[in-house]
Amino acid sequence: MTRSLKWALALCVLLVLPFAVAACGGDDDDGGTDEQATDQGTPAQGQKGGTLVSLWAGDVDFIDPGSTYYQMGTQIVRATQKTLYTPKIDDATIAEPDMAEADPEVAEDGCTVTVRIKTGVKFSPPVDREVTSADVKYAIERGFFNTVNNGYAGAYFGSVDGAEVGVDPGTEIPGIETPDDSTVVFNLKPAEGEDRCPGGVVAGALQMPLSAPVPKEYAAPHDEKNPSAYGQNQVATGPYMIENDASGKAIGYEAGRRIHLVRNPNWDESLDNDPAFVDEIDIRQGNDDPTVMSREIINGESMINGDQPPPPAVLKQLLTRDKDKLALVPSGGGRWISMNTTVEPFDDINVRKAVAAGMDREALRLTRGGEVVGDIPTHYIPPGLVGFEEAGGMEGFGVDFMANPKGDKNLSAEYFKEAGFESGKYEGGEELLMVGDNEGVGAQTAQVAAQQLEEMGFKVQLRQVTHDAMYTKFCNRPKADVALCPNVGWLKDFPDPQTYLDPTFNGNNILPQGNSNWSELDVPEINQAMADAALLTDPAERAEAWAEIDRMVTEQAPAIMWIWDKNSNIKSENVGGVVDEDNGLWSLSHTSVR
Amino acid sequence: MSTGAGASDLLHAEDPGLDQIVSGEQSVTARSPLQLFWRRFRRDKVAMTALFFIALLVAVAILAGPIIKLVGAPGPNVQQTSALDDFGLPSGPSSEHLFGVDPIGRDVFARVLYGARVSLMVALIGTGLSVIFGSVLGIIAGFYRSWVDTIIARSLDVMLAFPVLLLGLGLATACSGENGCAGGLIQPGLSVVIAIIVLANTPYVARIIRGQVLSLREKEFVEASRSLGASNTRIMFRDILPNLVAPIIVYATLFIPANILLEAALSFLGVGVQPPTASWGDMLSDAVSIFDVAWWFMFFPGTALLLTVLAFNLVGDGLQDALNPKGTKSR
Repeated sequence: MTRSLKWALALCVLLVLPFAVAACGGDDDDGGTDEQATDQGTPAQGQKGGTLVSLWAGDVDFIDPGSTYYQMGTQIVRATQKTLYTPKIDDATIAEPDMAEADPEVAEDGCTVTVRIKTGVKFSPPVDREVTSADVKYAIERGFFNTVNNGYAGAYFGSVDGAEVGVDPGTEIPGIETPDDSTVVFNLKPAEGEDRCPGGVVAGALQMPLSAPVPKEYAAPHDEKNPSAYGQNQVATGPYMIENDASGKAIGYEAGRRIHLVRNPNWDESLDNDPAFVDEIDIRQGNDDPTVMSREIINGESMINGDQPPPPAVLKQLLTRDKDKLALVPSGGGRWISMNTTVEPFDDINVRKAVAAGMDREALRLTRGGEVVGDIPTHYIPPGLVGFEEAGGMEGFGVDFMANPKGDKNLSAEYFKEAGFESGKYEGGEELLMVGDNEGVGAQTAQVAAQQLEEMGFKVQLRQVTHDAMYTKFCNRPKADVALCPNVGWLKDFPDPQTYLDPTFNGNNILPQGNSNWSELDVPEINQAMADAALLTDPAERAEAWAEIDRMVTEQAPAIMWIWDKNSNIKSENVGGVVDEDNGLWSLSHTSVR
Repeated sequence: MSTGAGASDLLHAEDPGLDQIVSGEQSVTARSPLQLFWRRFRRDKVAMTALFFIALLVAVAILAGPIIKLVGAPGPNVQQTSALDDFGLPSGPSSEHLFGVDPIGRDVFARVLYGARVSLMVALIGTGLSVIFGSVLGIIAGFYRSWVDTIIARSLDVMLAFPVLLLGLGLATACSGENGCAGGLIQPGLSVVIAIIVLANTPYVARIIRGQVLSLREKEFVEASRSLGASNTRIMFRDILPNLVAPIIVYATLFIPANILLEAALSFLGVGVQPPTASWGDMLSDAVSIFDVAWWFMFFPGTALLLTVLAFNLVGDGLQDALNPKGTKSR
């Protein structure tokens, strides 16, 4: 499972991190850290009606709910589809039944997951019929089609019996059974050499967009095309739908220009948690200057931002004068500087600790906008994930080299001495290759990091390339032997800590291409602990186990964790904004206009 | 004007001193071409001011370190987070930082001074190499004519048609991989910028020189030299080349500002000098996104660039006038 997981998640991080906003569609609790946040959470009162305008810079990755693996695609899915479960709007660690009737039943050994779905939910025109369990089965199956190419189906549903990534459209998965119209059963095969199955992960993944039902008789002809045309002809089960014509063609989606959502006439309010206040949502793309976009929203009416956060100057203005127009939410992700544990001198744990201790992480954070854009980590699992509190919350485990956000030169010197450098600074003369971004805030972060390492005695050769090349040509390729990657980061897929730590610090996940264990950390005890924890089904046990793994990874100091990002969301005066704590963005189906 | 005007009247406008010479009050002194040139150039107030500015700039670039120490500014790569506010926004000009700081807390004054080094170095080396290659190619093409000329001239035409900025961007993208291009020979940085400048300028220089050589090679002194049995090489480089010094100097001076701009453009696009080395183009590129809150970050490097380019252009024009008194004034 880990191979495909790796690949899939790498895609996610690539798509998302170039924007400062982030989250590939997972979950989030607020960790009690967003004291500046306003206006979020409680679905509260809102006025019915009106048009909400959302300004985006770019487009979704895929408009198809079965293909999208990006925060913005998830935002659309949350408004237009009923996934089996949906993270609670103001506490994303709780998954609420949406298309499902009740919580999933996971067998003791984790080898079967049973879900009952609601009756009475109808597809939008032109399908106009009631949703059955077969539609959920087809939705998951099509994720494995080579015409749909879902990025995470293999990672999270690959353990379903008979599931195989990249099959021809129409291929069924025998492991998904539908004993009646309202029951779906996932039969999993045990992990190698085990008698238990990763049912806990499968149950968690049922809140991913892929679980939104798809009518086979309508979608199958579209799925025959390569790539599938279902996205441009999709039907909805949520409160909104992409405006379409009589044949089902989604005329409201113009790639790169506009996504126009209207009410789904077949939506039944009594079967949904979303209040769906506004009548219409107009997503306008191509607003690529963040300053201009921010001013338009702040001074305009009925507008919100989408894939692009306001720049620091605007944040400052809002925080000092216009707090009501801003909401800050943890993204469920973090950024770090990886130290390659296979490259000298970072194969020495004391050198790694010395660097982690001496780094002024406040200076790094200032490149992104300072305190408002996120907290400085004390361990690895970020706020918004299950396991964060178990790992000590904001305080962490009390690891000394991660205690001081401004960096502790004395402690750093002590660790250097332990590594055999009596001067308290690094004394080796070799040049270390650091590969960072060549533009935007990422470029600044890289330069600040390089300068600090120079001050610790290292000779740094900083190569600055595009964000994409940084990943694909350097940091994602162990053969490139990059010593330091200052612009890497990861986002949860859903609030399970496995989606965060397994791809990034599991030694069994080091791949020749598309690698995301950038530190190439390969500690047998940690790998084993992860394999064991993956099979746990009880949420509380999972949280404890992954928190323990967090401690083990943290103590290895494979990276300099320097920020747990927050997303900055802005809105016009007359917008009653509600943030989806899971996705870290405004919720289109909870936000209202006055 | 009256028809009976004498020679002294006609020359009057040119130089009052000639009056005395013509009327025999002062003896005629022999002047070398250099002296003649300098006398003419000196009279051009604008060009002299510009030349003074360039001299100052060169001095500042060389003495950047001591000057920064003198005004108490930190070095060009020192990052002071204390000069940033809580949102990481840079602070403006103050007694501590004369030109303010950039978004990672580096002193803009220090970076503008050090940026002058890069600009001047790249422009001088790039122009120098272009002039050398261009002159050699131009002389050979113009002197030998026939098939040699055809090959060289057509190759130059091809080079002239090359989209230089696109080439730079392409090189930067293609060569930013693990080992650069051509076995690591080409990697984004100074060498690429200089190579692009040479590629861009050489054909212009060569064309001009070729044209001059085509007419010079028919002159009597060349025939004389040939009849005395001089070798082709000798004729080209001992007889013809000295006659090309004037146009070479003029064009070189005019290429320098263009190359400073080209370097800035390439750095702006991320192909040029690699950080943390200060470069005006790179600073301008970084300044764009925060111009609304940090005008100084664009204003000072921008002004430096503008003044430098202007100064070189003015000196170039002045030189042209001074070296080519027969030609019409360029201004």
